Amino acid sequence: MQLAIVGVSHKTAPVEIRERLAFPSDKMRGALEALMTRAKAGEAMILSTCNRVEIVAEGPSEELVREFLYEYHRIQADTISDHVYCLQNAEAIRHVFRVTSSLDSMMIGEPQILGQVKEAFRIANDAGTIGTNLSALMNKAFAVAKRVRSETGISQSAVSISYAAVELARQIFRDLTGKTVMIIGASKMGELAAKHLKRNGVSSVLVTNRTFEKAVEVAKVFEGAAIPFEHFTDHLDRADIVITSTGAPHFVITKPMAERMIKVRKNKPVFLIDIAVPRDIDPAVNEIDNVFVYDIDDLQQVIDENLKERMKEAHRAEEIVEGEVRAFCTKMQTRSVVPTIVEMRDSLDKMRREEIERYRAKLKGFTPEQMALIDQLTESMVNKILHHPTMQLKGMADDPRGPEFAETVRKLFNIKSHQGNDEPPA
Amino acid sequence: MGQINPEQPPGLLAPHAIIARMLALLRLALGLYFVGLMHSVLTVLRKKETFFTPAAAAMIAGFLAHAASIGILAFQLRSFPMTNVYESFSFFAALAVPVFFIVCRKYRMPSLGVFMFPMIFLMAFMANMGYDQSRFIPAELMSNWLYIHTPLVILGYVALFIAFSAAVLYLIQERELKSKSPRMFYNRFPSLEVCDDLAYKSLAVGFPLMTLGIISGVLWAHSANWAHWEFDAKIQLSFVTWLIYLLLIHYRLIAGWRGKRAAYLAIAGFVSVLITFVGANYLGGLHTFTQ
Repeated sequence: MQLAIVGVSHKTAPVEIRERLAFPSDKMRGALEALMTRAKAGEAMILSTCNRVEIVAEGPSEELVREFLYEYHRIQADTISDHVYCLQNAEAIRHVFRVTSSLDSMMIGEPQILGQVKEAFRIANDAGTIGTNLSALMNKAFAVAKRVRSETGISQSAVSISYAAVELARQIFRDLTGKTVMIIGASKMGELAAKHLKRNGVSSVLVTNRTFEKAVEVAKVFEGAAIPFEHFTDHLDRADIVITSTGAPHFVITKPMAERMIKVRKNKPVFLIDIAVPRDIDPAVNEIDNVFVYDIDDLQQVIDENLKERMKEAHRAEEIVEGEVRAFCTKMQTRSVVPTIVEMRDSLDKMRREEIERYRAKLKGFTPEQMALIDQLTESMVNKILHHPTMQLKGMADDPRGPEFAETVRKLFNIKSHQGNDEPPA
Repeated sequence: MGQINPEQPPGLLAPHAIIARMLALLRLALGLYFVGLMHSVLTVLRKKETFFTPAAAAMIAGFLAHAASIGILAFQLRSFPMTNVYESFSFFAALAVPVFFIVCRKYRMPSLGVFMFPMIFLMAFMANMGYDQSRFIPAELMSNWLYIHTPLVILGYVALFIAFSAAVLYLIQERELKSKSPRMFYNRFPSLEVCDDLAYKSLAVGFPLMTLGIISGVLWAHSANWAHWEFDAKIQLSFVTWLIYLLLIHYRLIAGWRGKRAAYLAIAGFVSVLITFVGANYLGGLHTFTQ
């Protein structure tokens, strides 16, 4: 397998360059076909997301792939060559595994990348540019990503405000189904948090806002109820989760208010999320039993902790990937060597049998015992002759020059078929 | 070990060989429970539950050995062995294992093991320490009430132990959430609502069992004409424990107590259970099972 990756990512290129090199999904098929013919690729796929553009090709040299990338987008090579990276063989395999496992992502452990890679693979497969090599590589990459996900915690904890809110809510409530969320003050961030909560099971949404029309508008989005701002305190006890994000300069929820609320709720726990600056909820409210107040800094602190945890887990993930890369390389190289050994032996054995057949007439007077002895003798000669070539080939299994060496052996022994590499991927 | 006391009712003593086999099985169980204990220690030290599956497997294997050890003795005695302190500890520990797994399955709460495994180990350890076959129940009190009174009380204790563990989980989780830096066990602990619900439900099971246990004890004392049973240390302590739990039920139902305050009271109640169950052996009275 001769693997090459040419591309740019958020680590090497600013967005102005990434967008110029992007492959829109409707042009992907054409691009793949052009890549196959122009760069003479045996197999290829293209991953194009907002954070990276990468061409994975089996067969051609990296120069050919790079030239294709520039030509296709009609870009002068010298203007962007500093941003483009080229990787080959083991390096390229490692890169594919890391990208798929979300270790190369801007936000390490983010879950979307796996889906994006799978989609790119599917498109290439539909376009007919995937063969046994890329298929084996990508299936392994998906398996590695799955392993990383399940064996490390890199994508476990929340790293965005609205997701952290959902996660904290899950630490308080058994499940969010049947719970009510109240949005006080319509803002983008408040709505986003509410949207996340709703997607995770929250069943009813109450919205209140100083301008009632805005509350009605937001309530419509969530199929909830709008409440006039003057009356929201009367409905506060209905909410299990409250999100505040008003522009008020003073506290909207005070301690006596919260005390009254928890009393009416008979101590049923309530989660207050204050994403307003200046704050809407008196921090003293957190002192009340069964009331949990998180302001924007508290949420940020949770996220920071989670990020630290992710970095630690990423370390373990890198180790997993490293082991998998080594295993995959060995397997690919062995695959180039083992069929050669088998075919070399088959070829010589066939020769031996044919020779015995040829002499059969002259060997007529021999007893069956003597015939058996001749069989044994010739077999042992073949084994002796093949002993060293076999050992040498096996020794090359872990060597990057293995495939080349195997090719030489094939020429020496006149083995033509190259079917060994076409076995289906595991 | 296994001294034959002519005053004790015959048929309640097992031959030495049976006792030896029973103890060997109990020690095997203890060894396996030790794995559970180690799981708890590691979880607290590493703040991460990594070895739950092997620990759970060891606990199940331990339970099987434990059940066999009780079974052997029960078969020999033709009755359930629970007439001395070792046997009641042993019964408690053995019962707590399947109850843990049922609750763990229903509530998806493996973290409960962090508190329950060490207690199971401790109880099995005490059952094993200096086992002695002497039966401290005087012949004139021996009656079938024993087989009603003791299981009710022990079952009740196991349920209240679950309530205690859930309460501790609640308090840890609550503190983490209030402190705004949920790190320890974060993501692995069940939600506050689940902890509170489990604490309440196990109280709702444990309290009636304990109440029935006490009533059956009183009936037993009456039927055996035991004068002044009300001065027995363990019985007095039981009433204190019972009152604590009554208070907890009252506050939960009437005052709508939940969460933290209810958790504190559930913990106080179980401490009282431990004093009653273990401590009373050293305070004199008829429930004293040791010499």
